[in-house]
Amino acid sequence: MTAEKAQRAAARGKTESEENARPVAKGLLFLAWLIPGLGHWLLGKRVRAGVFAAVVLAAFVTGVLLDGELAVPQQNSPLSWFFAFGCLGNGMLYLFRLLWVNGLDGLISATFPYGLQGGGDPVAAGFFYGKTFLYTAGLMNLLVVLDVHDIASGDKS
Amino acid sequence: MDHFILLVWHAFLVAVFFAFLWRSDARGRKILFAKTFVIMAVGAFLLGWLMYPFP
Repeated sequence: MTAEKAQRAAARGKTESEENARPVAKGLLFLAWLIPGLGHWLLGKRVRAGVFAAVVLAAFVTGVLLDGELAVPQQNSPLSWFFAFGCLGNGMLYLFRLLWVNGLDGLISATFPYGLQGGGDPVAAGFFYGKTFLYTAGLMNLLVVLDVHDIASGDKS
Repeated sequence: MDHFILLVWHAFLVAVFFAFLWRSDARGRKILFAKTFVIMAVGAFLLGWLMYPFP
Protein backbone atom coordinates (compact mmCIF):
# COMPACT_ATOMS: atom_id res chain seq x y z
CA MET A 1 0.00 0.00 0.00
CA THR A 2 2.77 2.38 0.98
CA ALA A 3 4.76 1.37 -2.09
CA GLU A 4 1.73 2.11 -4.27
CA LYS A 5 1.38 5.54 -2.71
CA ALA A 6 5.05 6.22 -3.27
CA GLN A 7 4.74 5.13 -6.90
CA ARG A 8 1.71 7.36 -7.46
CA ALA A 9 3.53 10.27 -5.90
CA ALA A 10 6.61 9.62 -8.02
CA ALA A 11 4.45 9.50 -11.14
CA ARG A 12 3.27 13.03 -10.32
CA GLY A 13 6.83 14.17 -9.71
CA LYS A 14 6.35 14.52 -5.94
CA THR A 15 7.72 12.78 -2.87
CA GLU A 16 5.34 10.77 -0.67
CA SER A 17 5.36 13.42 2.07
CA GLU A 18 4.56 16.14 -0.48
CA GLU A 19 1.68 14.01 -1.75
CA ASN A 20 0.25 13.62 1.76
CA ALA A 21 0.81 17.25 2.78
CA ARG A 22 -2.30 19.20 3.75
CA PRO A 23 -2.66 22.80 2.62
CA VAL A 24 -1.74 25.29 5.35
CA ALA A 25 -3.77 28.43 5.91
CA LYS A 26 -1.60 31.49 5.45
CA GLY A 27 -3.61 33.26 8.15
CA LEU A 28 -2.43 30.66 10.66
CA LEU A 29 1.20 31.31 9.77
CA PHE A 30 0.61 35.06 9.99
CA LEU A 31 -0.90 34.71 13.46
CA ALA A 32 1.95 32.40 14.51
CA TRP A 33 4.41 35.10 13.46
CA LEU A 34 2.43 38.02 14.90
CA ILE A 35 1.91 36.60 18.38
CA PRO A 36 4.56 34.09 19.50
CA GLY A 37 2.93 30.81 20.51
CA LEU A 38 -0.50 31.56 19.04
CA GLY A 39 0.00 29.20 16.09
CA HIS A 40 0.66 26.22 18.35
CA TRP A 41 -2.22 27.26 20.61
CA LEU A 42 -4.64 27.25 17.67
CA LEU A 43 -3.37 23.81 16.65
CA GLY A 44 -4.07 22.49 20.15
CA LYS A 45 -0.42 22.29 21.24
CA ARG A 46 -1.01 24.27 24.41
CA VAL A 47 2.14 23.35 26.34
CA ARG A 48 4.44 24.12 23.43
CA ALA A 49 2.52 27.35 22.80
CA GLY A 50 3.08 28.49 26.39
CA VAL A 51 6.76 27.59 26.38
CA PHE A 52 7.49 29.26 23.03
CA ALA A 53 5.58 32.40 24.01
CA ALA A 54 7.40 32.60 27.35
CA VAL A 55 10.86 31.99 25.85
CA VAL A 56 10.49 34.48 22.99
CA LEU A 57 8.98 37.11 25.29
CA ALA A 58 11.67 36.58 27.94
CA ALA A 59 14.47 36.90 25.38
CA PHE A 60 12.88 40.02 23.85
CA VAL A 61 12.30 41.76 27.19
CA THR A 62 15.84 40.91 28.32
CA GLY A 63 17.18 42.45 25.10
CA VAL A 64 15.19 45.63 25.61
CA LEU A 65 16.19 45.90 29.29
CA LEU A 66 19.84 45.56 28.30
CA ASP A 67 19.46 48.55 25.96
CA GLY A 68 19.81 46.42 22.87
CA GLU A 69 18.97 47.83 19.46
CA LEU A 70 16.47 46.31 17.07
CA ALA A 71 17.74 46.00 13.52
CA VAL A 72 16.04 48.27 10.99
CA PRO A 73 16.64 48.63 7.23
CA GLN A 74 19.27 51.21 6.35
CA GLN A 75 19.93 52.92 3.07
CA ASN A 76 23.02 51.73 1.13
CA SER A 77 23.34 48.74 3.48
CA PRO A 78 21.77 45.66 1.89
CA LEU A 79 22.99 43.50 4.78
CA SER A 80 20.84 45.50 7.20
CA TRP A 81 17.78 43.94 5.55
CA PHE A 82 18.90 40.49 6.70
CA PHE A 83 19.29 41.68 10.28
CA ALA A 84 15.97 43.52 10.08
CA PHE A 85 14.30 40.35 8.77
CA GLY A 86 15.70 38.39 11.71
CA CYS A 87 14.39 40.95 14.19
CA LEU A 88 11.09 41.21 12.34
CA GLY A 89 10.61 37.59 13.35
CA ASN A 90 9.53 38.93 16.75
CA GLY A 91 6.21 39.86 15.17
CA MET A 92 4.05 42.14 17.25
CA LEU A 93 6.85 42.69 19.77
CA TYR A 94 9.03 44.18 17.01
CA LEU A 95 6.25 46.41 15.73
CA PHE A 96 5.33 47.64 19.24
CA ARG A 97 8.96 48.38 20.07
CA LEU A 98 9.45 50.36 16.85
CA LEU A 99 6.24 52.27 17.61
CA TRP A 100 7.50 52.91 21.16
CA VAL A 101 10.86 54.23 19.94
CA ASN A 102 9.81 56.14 16.83
CA GLY A 103 6.27 57.17 17.65
CA LEU A 104 3.51 57.01 15.07
CA ASP A 105 4.90 60.01 13.16
CA GLY A 106 8.29 58.35 12.90
CA LEU A 107 6.81 55.15 11.56
CA ILE A 108 4.65 56.85 8.94
CA SER A 109 7.35 59.02 7.49
CA ALA A 110 8.05 59.71 3.84
CA THR A 111 11.33 57.81 4.00
CA PHE A 112 9.78 54.58 5.34
CA PRO A 113 11.25 51.99 5.81
CA TYR A 114 14.47 53.99 6.07
CA GLY A 115 15.17 56.45 8.86
CA LEU A 116 13.69 54.30 11.62
CA GLN A 117 15.40 54.07 14.99
CA GLY A 118 15.91 50.67 16.58
CA GLY A 119 16.15 52.01 20.13
CA GLY A 120 18.83 50.98 22.59
CA ASP A 121 21.89 52.79 23.86
CA PRO A 122 25.18 52.11 22.01
CA VAL A 123 27.27 53.13 25.04
CA ALA A 124 25.37 50.90 27.48
CA ALA A 125 27.30 47.94 28.86
CA GLY A 126 24.64 45.52 27.70
CA PHE A 127 24.15 46.96 24.21
CA PHE A 128 25.60 44.05 22.23
CA TYR A 129 24.22 41.46 24.64
CA GLY A 130 20.83 43.08 24.24
CA LYS A 131 21.09 42.90 20.45
CA THR A 132 21.97 39.22 20.72
CA PHE A 133 18.86 38.54 22.81
CA LEU A 134 16.64 40.53 20.42
CA TYR A 135 18.00 38.74 17.33
CA THR A 136 17.75 35.37 19.06
CA ALA A 137 14.12 36.00 20.00
CA GLY A 138 13.26 36.92 16.40
CA LEU A 139 15.00 33.91 14.90
CA MET A 140 13.41 31.58 17.44
CA ASN A 141 9.95 32.86 16.53
CA LEU A 142 10.67 32.33 12.83
CA LEU A 143 11.52 28.70 13.67
CA VAL A 144 8.25 28.51 15.60
CA VAL A 145 6.38 29.62 12.46
CA LEU A 146 8.10 26.89 10.44
CA ASP A 147 7.13 24.38 13.14
CA VAL A 148 3.50 25.51 12.93
CA HIS A 149 3.66 24.95 9.16
CA ASP A 150 5.03 21.43 9.62
CA ILE A 151 2.38 20.52 12.19
CA ALA A 152 -0.47 22.00 10.14
CA SER A 153 0.68 20.25 6.95
CA GLY A 154 0.91 16.90 8.73
CA ASP A 155 4.69 16.54 8.50
CA LYS A 156 5.01 16.63 12.28
CA SER A 157 2.73 15.74 15.18
CA MET B 1 25.56 43.39 34.95
CA ASP B 2 27.28 40.04 35.30
CA HIS B 3 28.14 38.80 31.82
CA PHE B 4 28.26 35.17 32.95
CA ILE B 5 24.70 35.36 34.27
CA LEU B 6 23.61 36.71 30.88
CA LEU B 7 25.44 33.86 29.17
CA VAL B 8 23.71 31.29 31.38
CA TRP B 9 20.31 32.95 30.90
CA HIS B 10 20.76 32.96 27.11
CA ALA B 11 21.86 29.31 27.12
CA PHE B 12 18.87 28.40 29.30
CA LEU B 13 16.34 30.08 26.99
CA VAL B 14 17.83 28.58 23.82
CA ALA B 15 18.09 25.11 25.41
CA VAL B 16 14.46 25.17 26.56
CA PHE B 17 13.36 26.38 23.14
CA PHE B 18 15.10 23.66 21.14
CA ALA B 19 14.12 20.95 23.63
CA PHE B 20 10.45 21.74 23.00
CA LEU B 21 10.91 22.36 19.27
CA TRP B 22 12.75 19.16 18.42
CA ARG B 23 11.50 16.63 20.99
CA SER B 24 7.95 15.68 21.91
CA ASP B 25 8.48 13.34 24.88
CA ALA B 26 9.50 14.45 28.36
CA ARG B 27 12.62 12.29 28.54
CA GLY B 28 13.87 13.41 25.13
CA ARG B 29 13.30 17.03 26.07
CA LYS B 30 15.25 16.71 29.31
CA ILE B 31 18.19 15.08 27.55
CA LEU B 32 18.30 17.62 24.72
CA PHE B 33 17.92 20.49 27.18
CA ALA B 34 20.84 19.20 29.26
CA LYS B 35 23.05 18.66 26.22
CA THR B 36 22.32 22.05 24.67
CA PHE B 37 22.66 23.91 27.95
CA VAL B 38 25.94 22.26 28.89
CA ILE B 39 27.44 22.75 25.43
CA MET B 40 26.48 26.44 25.38
CA ALA B 41 27.19 27.44 28.98
CA VAL B 42 30.12 25.24 29.91
CA GLY B 43 31.53 25.35 26.37
CA ALA B 44 31.57 29.16 26.34
CA PHE B 45 33.18 29.18 29.80
CA LEU B 46 35.93 26.78 28.69
CA LEU B 47 36.45 28.64 25.43
CA GLY B 48 36.83 31.86 27.41
CA TRP B 49 39.61 30.32 29.52
CA LEU B 50 41.28 28.83 26.44
CA MET B 51 41.41 32.31 24.89
CA TYR B 52 42.70 33.86 28.11
CA PRO B 53 46.46 33.65 27.23
CA PHE B 54 45.90 35.31 23.86
CA PRO B 55 46.11 39.07 23.59
